[in-house]
Amino acid sequence: MSPAMLVVAFVAAVNPFRARGSVPESDSGRARTVPLIIGALLTVGSVGLLAWWSDPVLRSLAITPETFKIAVGFVAVLTGGYAFAVAVPAAEPELAGWRAGVWPVWYPRLFGPEVMVLALTAGTGNGVAGSAGAAALAAAVVVVLAPVRRPVPRRVLVWMGRIAAAALVVVGIWLTIDGIRDV
Amino acid sequence: MIGRRLAVHLSALLVGAAVVRVAVVPAEVCPPVTASQVRQSLDAAVGWLERGVQPDGRYLYGYDRNSGVVSTDYNEVRHSGVVVVLYQAYAAMGSIDALAAADSGLDRALRDLLYEDDWIAWAPPGEATSGGNALLLAGLAIRRAATGDRGYDDVMRGIARFLTVLQFPDGSVSAKWLEGSGPIDATSLYSTGETAWALALVDREFRGEGWGEAAALTIDYMVADRDRVEGRFSRLPDHWAAHALAELRPELLTDERVDYARRLAGYFSIRLRFESQRLGTGVNLLMRWYPGTPAGVGTAGEGMGALHLLASREPRLADLLEGIDDRIVCTAGLMVNRQVTADEAALGAHPALEEGAWFYRGYTQMDDQQHTITSLIDALTVLDALEATP
Repeated sequence: MSPAMLVVAFVAAVNPFRARGSVPESDSGRARTVPLIIGALLTVGSVGLLAWWSDPVLRSLAITPETFKIAVGFVAVLTGGYAFAVAVPAAEPELAGWRAGVWPVWYPRLFGPEVMVLALTAGTGNGVAGSAGAAALAAAVVVVLAPVRRPVPRRVLVWMGRIAAAALVVVGIWLTIDGIRDV
Repeated sequence: MIGRRLAVHLSALLVGAAVVRVAVVPAEVCPPVTASQVRQSLDAAVGWLERGVQPDGRYLYGYDRNSGVVSTDYNEVRHSGVVVVLYQAYAAMGSIDALAAADSGLDRALRDLLYEDDWIAWAPPGEATSGGNALLLAGLAIRRAATGDRGYDDVMRGIARFLTVLQFPDGSVSAKWLEGSGPIDATSLYSTGETAWALALVDREFRGEGWGEAAALTIDYMVADRDRVEGRFSRLPDHWAAHALAELRPELLTDERVDYARRLAGYFSIRLRFESQRLGTGVNLLMRWYPGTPAGVGTAGEGMGALHLLASREPRLADLLEGIDDRIVCTAGLMVNRQVTADEAALGAHPALEEGAWFYRGYTQMDDQQHTITSLIDALTVLDALEATP
């Protein structure tokens, strides 16, 4: 994947706009920064770790990186379609204090299955730094969106989340075709 | 509460992963294989073809081991395909028996030559096809290169001229020539690529006579127009086109032709990766069906073999070489594993009709051996190089 495509893929998979809709918030409606930063850092770290392990993981699964790309495309299309249809994810119960950054911010909100498989395929093609870098950009967006609390901007976020979900479907189709055409 | 939600999420994750694993990406099984095993496999498969030589120069066409019945069908294009692969086996392994078996089939064909104007065609009753003549010509070119025998040069040039008679100005190739009307206005699935390959091989033998340019004309038709003009929804993964590109003179390899080779590598690769996921049992059978026809797997394997040859001397394709070699070796492992061994054949009704062959659901046909042998000969080159690397 080209660097630009990689960033688009991670932003679409992490979908910070959609995630912002169901992260822990203070009474004012502003997202709690500490859990958000912890979740973002964990996401970047997890992506880096999976990218680092991508070769041994795929070898142990007896799958070539080219064929795995088809599976990633399949997962991306399904999860992108779901995210488009369900624009605001269900609210999850939260762990107390900073631990909310682990649940629900890191998982299931930011580090979903589409991000996991994307990290594996990006690891084989773009390396650890490229994958973690793209994930960091995507995760940074959700931190930047922390102050958004008024109804109108939040409705805009929902639609941006839908656009990102649609982009994930497109990325999934592209990955599938690329996996089929790869040697 | 959190525990319950976590359990729901993790369950969905596990079920999803299982579905993707079973339905989308089953394991790609590549049995380990050595050059020595491939040589043994080749000997056995070529032996099947050699034992099938009939007194009139035909070859055994097919055999159904479920019913124990030998097929009475015959196909002249496949006949010349077997002549080709036997000459390839001679060239690769020096097998005198393979050369003799190929010459038997060649002699049979040469009894049906049609001499017309300045060209010569192999015209068994009712058909002077481009595919049959192209493969016969390819066999003659491989024979000439391997034996140094110049005795068929006039016939080769005559058949090459016949193929150019069948070529239309846009590079497409008529399926066959009919007495009285000439080339018919119809193409055939594989004869276009076969014609391009034969002309490229003749160019290798007779440099400077313009055969490479004639081959390139037909290659360009395959590159740009064929699939659209011939009404195919998707690109034809044409192994003959790969052979033609691999034999084309370097100065004729334009960027468009090289890009076409790259696309072909992708088609063959997905076919072979898919094949390596087929176990033919249990849930995998429902998802991937039976292991593919040996001829089908063999064509993709030999297509990759041709592209290996091309990519190893063409810098614009050098990035593909590692992937191509991986697919070639994997396919060799699969096919060596699927071949009927002497012990397995001994359990059948007619061991000599089974040993060394590849069956698809109980039936084998000459082209199952033909294409698989070519793919294994190509694999031998790759494996020898790998085993020579410390």
